[in-house]
Amino acid sequence: MDSPHAVRADLFDPASLASLGHVEIVARWVVDGFLTGLHRSPRKGFSVEFAEYRPYQPGDDLRYIDWKIAARANRWVVKQFEEETNLRATIILDVSRSMAWTGAETRLTKLAYAEQLVAALSLLLIRQRDAVGFIRYDDRLRTVIPPRARTAQWRRILHALDEEGAGLASIAPAALMQAARLIRRPGMVVLISDLLMEPDEVAEAIRLLRAVGHDVTVLHIMDPAERDLSLAGEAVFTDPESGLEVPATVADVRAAYRETVEEAIAEWRSTLGATGAGYEVFTTDVPFGVPLRRAFAARQHLP
Amino acid sequence: MSFLEPLYLLLAGAAAVPLLLHLLRRRIGLRVEFPAARYIVRAERENSRKLKLRNLLLMFLRILAVLLVALAAARPVGRLIGAGHAPTAIAIVVDNSLSTSTIIDGAPLFRRLRAAALAAAREATASDRVWLVTADGRVVGGSSSAVADAIQRLEPLAGSGDLGAAVGRAVGLVRGAGLPARHVAIATDGQATSWRRALAVGDIGVSVYVPAGTPPANHAVVLAEARPTRWTPRGSVVARTLGADSATYRIAIGGQGNAARTLARGTAVADGEILVRAAPPERGWVAGSVELEPDELRGDDVRHFAAWIGAAPAVSIDPSLGPFVRTAVDALVQSDRLRLGSDAAVISADALTRLPALIVAPSDPVHVGAANRALERAGVPWRFGAARRETGTVREPAAVTPKLLDGATVSLRYPLTPAGDAVADTVARVGAEPWVVSGDRYVIVASPLDPSATDFPVRAGFLPWLAEAASQRLAGDAGVVLSAAPGARLRAPVGIQVLDDSAGQPVQIGDGEIVAPERSGVYFLRRGRARAGALVVNSEPDESALARLAPPLLRSRFDGRDVSVGGDPERWAREAYTGSARRPLATPLLVLALIVLVIEAIISRGAGARARAGATKAAA
Repeated sequence: MDSPHAVRADLFDPASLASLGHVEIVARWVVDGFLTGLHRSPRKGFSVEFAEYRPYQPGDDLRYIDWKIAARANRWVVKQFEEETNLRATIILDVSRSMAWTGAETRLTKLAYAEQLVAALSLLLIRQRDAVGFIRYDDRLRTVIPPRARTAQWRRILHALDEEGAGLASIAPAALMQAARLIRRPGMVVLISDLLMEPDEVAEAIRLLRAVGHDVTVLHIMDPAERDLSLAGEAVFTDPESGLEVPATVADVRAAYRETVEEAIAEWRSTLGATGAGYEVFTTDVPFGVPLRRAFAARQHLP
Repeated sequence: MSFLEPLYLLLAGAAAVPLLLHLLRRRIGLRVEFPAARYIVRAERENSRKLKLRNLLLMFLRILAVLLVALAAARPVGRLIGAGHAPTAIAIVVDNSLSTSTIIDGAPLFRRLRAAALAAAREATASDRVWLVTADGRVVGGSSSAVADAIQRLEPLAGSGDLGAAVGRAVGLVRGAGLPARHVAIATDGQATSWRRALAVGDIGVSVYVPAGTPPANHAVVLAEARPTRWTPRGSVVARTLGADSATYRIAIGGQGNAARTLARGTAVADGEILVRAAPPERGWVAGSVELEPDELRGDDVRHFAAWIGAAPAVSIDPSLGPFVRTAVDALVQSDRLRLGSDAAVISADALTRLPALIVAPSDPVHVGAANRALERAGVPWRFGAARRETGTVREPAAVTPKLLDGATVSLRYPLTPAGDAVADTVARVGAEPWVVSGDRYVIVASPLDPSATDFPVRAGFLPWLAEAASQRLAGDAGVVLSAAPGARLRAPVGIQVLDDSAGQPVQIGDGEIVAPERSGVYFLRRGRARAGALVVNSEPDESALARLAPPLLRSRFDGRDVSVGGDPERWAREAYTGSARRPLATPLLVLALIVLVIEAIISRGAGARARAGATKAAA
C-alpha cells in the first residue's frame, strides 16, 4: 500500500484488508484506492480561498500542484483551499449487540465492517472539507460528535469507535432525531445498521429529517449467513438482543427464510423509498469500495 | 410375498430416524446465536401450513425411501411386478416310460417331451436349482447346461418305471432346496396306467405337459410263459396278446433275435390267448420269445420267456402202491413224459430206502412206524401221524396254477408233522394240516393213492400232477426263472453270483441283489460256470395300454393347490418358472426408492431455487 500504484484497497476482501492494520490505516488505504478509481479529483469546484499545502496524493488534480515548489524543493504538493459552503454530514452507527455477529470466523462482524466503513467515509468527507458528525447508539445514544471539518475530527471519530456499546436494543429513531438536532441546516445523514428493528418508527424519523431538507442514506449491513441462512443442521436459534428463541431445521426452513428476508428487504426499500431516503443492502463480504461508492454518490447529488 | 434375506428387514427400523427427527426437532439441544432469528419466526409463521405440509411430505418420503431400501435388501419375491423370475427350485420330471416311444405323426412322442423338457431347463438362470427326474427314478442335478445335457442323452425305457415315485422324489427335492419358488414340471404322455393313484404335492406348484393327439391302436404281447418252466422235453408256451383285432405272431426259441428258431407261427385273435405245445431238441436253459408284427409301439411287440429243456426223468414203481399209480406211470412212459429207470422212485413210505422219491403214505396203519423210521433213515424231516379217518377236501395255495390237486376228497390220511428243521413247501392241505409236502428231492403224500383213501387217483389232475412232481420236483434243481420289469431290483437266488449281460458276458452280482437290465430279454443266471436259471425282463403289460387320461382327470391325480395341465410346450416351459408369478422385487423397489429420493430432492431444493430466483429478482 506504500506505492501509489498498489492494488486498490477498496476492492479488497474486507476481512483480509482489515487484518492488515488498524482501522485508521485501513481507512486511508480504502479512501486512497477509492479516490484513485474515480479518475478525476472530487475536489474540483471546492473553495477558491487558499488554506494550506499538503503532499500530493495519487488522484489529486494536477491543476492544483504547486509547480513552483515542485521546481524549488523537488517535491510535489497541492494547494488546498478553505471551503465556502461545506456540506454537513452525520454518520449514525448502530452498535447494538446484534451488530457484533458474524456467520463465519473468516468474515468481519457487521460492526467491524461498519466501523471500517465509518472511518473511510468520514475520512473521505473530511478530505473534501465537509463537516462530519458521528453518532453511535444501541439501546441509548452512546456517542454524539457534532459535525466538524477539521482533520482532528476524524481522530475523534476513530477514538469514538473504541467506546463501548453492544446494548440489547436499537433506538435508531432517537439517533436520527439526535442527528437532526446536530445539523441545523440541510445536510447529509448516513445510517449504518443491520436494521433488525421495526421499519415504521425508523421511517417516521427519516420522514422528519427529510422534511427539514436532510438527505438520508441507509446502509443496511447484513452478514451473508443472515441473507441466505447458509448454515447447516438444526438448532435453537437465539436472537442475542431480544432473547427470542426458535428451534428450526435449516434445510426445512431455508427456502422460506430466504423468501422472508427478501420480503423484508423489499419492505425496507419500499418504506424508505417512500420517504425519499436512499437505501442499499450490503453483506459483509462485499469490498468496502462498494458501499463507499453508494454513500459518496449520495454526497455527489448534494450541492 | 416372501424374503430371501429376511434379517435385512431389521433395516426398516432405520425408518424411525426421520420420524424421530421430525417429532423431536422441537427438543434440539444445540443453541446458536442468530440475530436474524426474527426472520426465521416470520418465515415459519407466514409459511406454517406450507412448511408443515412440506415437512410431513419430506418425512414421509424419507421414511418411504428407507423402507424401500430395507425391503430391497431383504430380497423380496412375490406375485407383484418384477423382472425375470424368482430363484426357483425346479424339478423337471420326464416320462421316459416305454409308452412314450410310440410313433405319433411320424416321430416318437418322446422327442416332443424331451424338446419341451430341454426348453424348460434352458429357461433356468444361475440362481435357480434344477433337477431332472426320470420315470426310472434317476436324478440329475446341477447347472442348467448339465441338466440340459442329461435331457439330450435321455432315451425311453423298456418298461414303465414309476412316475408316481419320480414325482414324489421331485417334490422332495424342490421342497428341500430352501428357495421360495418351488416347482415340479412334468412332461408325460398322460398314459392312464401310469397315473393311477393321486399324488400329494401340497403347496408345490406343478405343471403337466401332455402333447396333444390320440394314441394309436396298439398290438402287444402281454404274456409269454414256458409251462412248465422245466420241459422234459415236452412243454408249452402260453402267450396272450392285446389288440383290437387279430395279429400275426411268431414263437421263437433257442436264442434271441436272428439266432432264434421259429417254434410256431399263427394268427392271434383280438385279446386272445395262444397255447403252443412243443418238444424242442434244445437242451438246458434256452431263451424264447413271442413276437408280433411291428406297430407304432415296438417295445411291446416282443415278449421273452425262458425254459429248461431236458430228457424225461426215469422212475421206478413200488408195486405195493396199487394199480392206479402203476397205470398212471405207464401212461406217462408211453407219452414220453417219464421213463422207467432208477433216477427216482415212486414208493410207499415204509419201503423207502433212498431219495429222490415220491413217498406215498402206507395203506395199512400198522406200517406207519416202519414208514417213519424209513423217513428218518432217508433224512426226510417229516413224520406220519396216527391214521385219521375223516372226510376232507384238498386245497392248494391260491397262487398255484393250474390247480391239479384242488377239490380232491380225502377219507384216510396220516397227518404230516415236521421233524426238526423241515424246509419244505406245503403243496396242498386238508383242513389246516399239510397233505402233500415237497422238499429237497422228495414229495410226500399223506394218504395212500388208492380210491379207498382219496379220490385223487381217479381225478383228471392226477396224471399231470404225477408227471409234474416227477419231472419238476424229483429230477433235481435245474434252476429258477425270475421275471422282472426293466430296472427292477430283486434278490438273487442262493448261490447265484453271475448274470450274463445282453452280450452274453458274465457280470458279477453285488450284495445279493440283481438289478434288472434296462433292455428286455433273457439273461441267464450262473452258479459257478453252469447256467442255473434265467432272469426274464419284459415290460409291464400295463405299459401297452396307451389310453390317456383326459386333462381334468389327470389334474385330479395331483392333490395340490397349484396344478395345471396343458398341451402347449412353450407355455409349460415358461410356467415352470413364472407359473407361481413370484418374481424378485429388489430392483423395482430400488428404482422406486430412487424415484422417491429424486422427488424428495426436488421438493427440498425446489423451494430453495424459487427463493434464489426471488432474491435475484429483488437484487435486479
